[in-house]
Amino acid sequence: MGLLSGRVALVTGGSRGLGRAICLALAREGAEVAFNFSRSDQDAAELLALIQGLGVRGWAYKTSVLDKAGLQSLARTLEAEAGQIDVLVNNAGVGQAVPLALMEEEDWDRVMSVNVKGAFLTTQAVMRGMIKRRRGRILNISSLAGVKMMEAPVHYSAAKAALKGFTEALAKEIGRYGITVNCLAPGILEAGVSTNLPEARLAEYLRHCALGRQGTLEECAEVVAFLVSDRNSYMNGATIVLDGGV
Amino acid sequence: MDCTTCTPTPARQDRPHTFLAHEYAACPTCEARIEGRIVLRAGKVYNLLRCLACGPQETLVADDAGRYLIEFLAKGQVPEGHQGDWLFKTTTSTCPTCLALLEAEVVIREGRVFFKKACGECGPSEALVSEDARYYVQAYAFARAGTEPLEFTQPAKAGCPVDCGTCSDHEQHTCLPIIEVTDHCNLECPICIVDNQYSSHMPLGVFESTIAGLIRAEGRCESVAICGGEPTSHPRIFDLIRAADRPEIGRVVLITNGLRIGRDLGFARQIKDSGAYVALQLDGFDAETHRVLRGRDLTEEKAATLRVLRELKIPTQLIFVAARGVNEHQIGQAVDLLLGEDHILSLNFQPVAFTGNGGGRFSHDPLDRLTIPGVIDAVDKQTHGRIKKSDFSPLPCSHPQCVSLTYLLRLNDGSYLPFPRFVDFRKHGSLLRSSATLPATAEMHDTLHEIIHDVYAREDDTERGSDVLAALRRALDVMFPGRPVGVREELRIGEAQAKSIFLHHYMDPHDFDLERLRKCCHHYAQADGRIMPACGFNLFHRGAAKGPDTAVPAWAKNAPLGSGTASARLRVVT
Repeated sequence: MGLLSGRVALVTGGSRGLGRAICLALAREGAEVAFNFSRSDQDAAELLALIQGLGVRGWAYKTSVLDKAGLQSLARTLEAEAGQIDVLVNNAGVGQAVPLALMEEEDWDRVMSVNVKGAFLTTQAVMRGMIKRRRGRILNISSLAGVKMMEAPVHYSAAKAALKGFTEALAKEIGRYGITVNCLAPGILEAGVSTNLPEARLAEYLRHCALGRQGTLEECAEVVAFLVSDRNSYMNGATIVLDGGV
Repeated sequence: MDCTTCTPTPARQDRPHTFLAHEYAACPTCEARIEGRIVLRAGKVYNLLRCLACGPQETLVADDAGRYLIEFLAKGQVPEGHQGDWLFKTTTSTCPTCLALLEAEVVIREGRVFFKKACGECGPSEALVSEDARYYVQAYAFARAGTEPLEFTQPAKAGCPVDCGTCSDHEQHTCLPIIEVTDHCNLECPICIVDNQYSSHMPLGVFESTIAGLIRAEGRCESVAICGGEPTSHPRIFDLIRAADRPEIGRVVLITNGLRIGRDLGFARQIKDSGAYVALQLDGFDAETHRVLRGRDLTEEKAATLRVLRELKIPTQLIFVAARGVNEHQIGQAVDLLLGEDHILSLNFQPVAFTGNGGGRFSHDPLDRLTIPGVIDAVDKQTHGRIKKSDFSPLPCSHPQCVSLTYLLRLNDGSYLPFPRFVDFRKHGSLLRSSATLPATAEMHDTLHEIIHDVYAREDDTERGSDVLAALRRALDVMFPGRPVGVREELRIGEAQAKSIFLHHYMDPHDFDLERLRKCCHHYAQADGRIMPACGFNLFHRGAAKGPDTAVPAWAKNAPLGSGTASARLRVVT
């Protein structure tokens, strides 16, 4: 019996990077896993095969987290197929290394939209069933840049900080229905959005990190699996920092 | 719990228990058989006894209040195949002839509920109290703890109804205060529940001190109702309305037959300018109804009144006294009127009470009369299901047998949908209030949020789910605009979001139930500071409360002292 046997999870931005690792970790723990993606059909197909190879059902949906109607439809379709959605991981996000002085309005809107509005729209679509069933786990993937002062793009930090507020307000709002909402703020990981980090910044991070290394996607995904499991039943509105001790 | 009727007043305390019902028991000291109040307190059940000889006492009845309630309700289930009357419980009622307080058996007979009484002087009697035993029994599940006024105006000595009031045994504060400002009237209604003497109009100073007493006892009132007699016959009625126009009072309501409003546009404009609301007596729409209930054909006059109220957009409540075989066929038409006119905020059906100078003599059969379930049934049938039986719930604020109600949400297309189509009143008890509209309180804010989530989760299965959500969003936006809102504005905003239908069955000597009186929340405020529960005032105290120069009601003149088996004997009808 895995941590998540019998549970159905939806992971946004699931086909690559941290999302992919989360999908596989949840599947290893027995969850049936659905994910959405917006770019590579091939990546999605490969991940789906890996999920199914772990002996659980999987679903891949090519839907943007900014497509409200598409997300509502995704939630209904998945609930019809799987019976329910127990777990939502709002992972989809984008970053962009650009100083504020050169940041275009479009840059700002894009980062804020995908990171924040995407979580809002997906949660709104999925929580309908969770309220109905009086049960659910929602985990928002933020960033250390959203909770600590770091040299990071302003719009990215702002968006990730917004997810912390989103988490706390939502946890208060729907906790009465047995739905917990938490937030995970990883530090710099070996892959994902920090892949293109300038060397100097990475070095500075490692200087301050007690473990002296970057985290791995798998390490982060393992924590996600625990956070969305029934074993983690009393945590609500919390932001967990996963940074090796910065 | 907080009173669900009124805007919370911080200093107003909850009752320490939930009053459920009456039960006769032996006084633990002298063993006399007396009535007691069954209350639920801290998970246990107690019987509070007030023995005239031994004083107040209490006995533990059960250790598990939840189980007790289930078993109590189960006593109202008549076993299949049972023949004859099924005893549900006992209570204290009155002899319909001499008004003596009597122990009454509450029995279920062929799906209906009756009181069976035996007066030592006048003999046995029976009265129909509910046309639907299932509704009657299940209503007890809505019992909730009441709230105390800031101060009780009388200590409890002999107990209810002698110590009126309200005495410290009373189970609910004053949700709707009523002040009788005159005993003059321009009609002689055959169903009048008072006994107009045409002797006096309440002086302004007395009215002011009555209001002051009310504020002292209650802190603030969502509404104050001014009635009579006919209050529009009071020569200084607008001075009275102005005197009641205080920050502690949300709205002033004029309970009127409306005749003066219909024929005197200037007078109506003054009402509009005063900000008062009108509670219009409107029992039907044809000549015969008016003749039977009000003594003459008022069809044209009532139509004129409705026209003026509509033209001036005076916020209006309708009061429809419903009598078996007289006007019950016009119940649906009254609902149509409510739903068709923006300025009409609520509709209050009152099954006729056979008491007072008129009603006490009105031809009736106590075994075949309209009760709350009968009116609900008529609403369902005559609105062709637009308002259904299942849309109504007992009001937990008062005794649950006294009032039933439903709220109707205004949808954005102007149509109305009863709240129970998308809300479980058992879960959202704070919606059930003895008030015509929804208040913009913090409690209501939380309740609306919960309802929105519930409806959102069940949108596909909810009647007009998306329309309901849109209307609730509108209600949230306007009720909680993110700026300070005064009491008056709060009420006006709430009024635009929903309408209400109330059914309030006032009691008479046939169906009087002391248990109900104990939790009455419609009270007559008196000049001497007393605040008297309505049906106790109507049946026992009206004459005495007005002072020694006021005639004792004719129907009470024969009430003998010392009769009856109840714990208390009335002194006020001597």
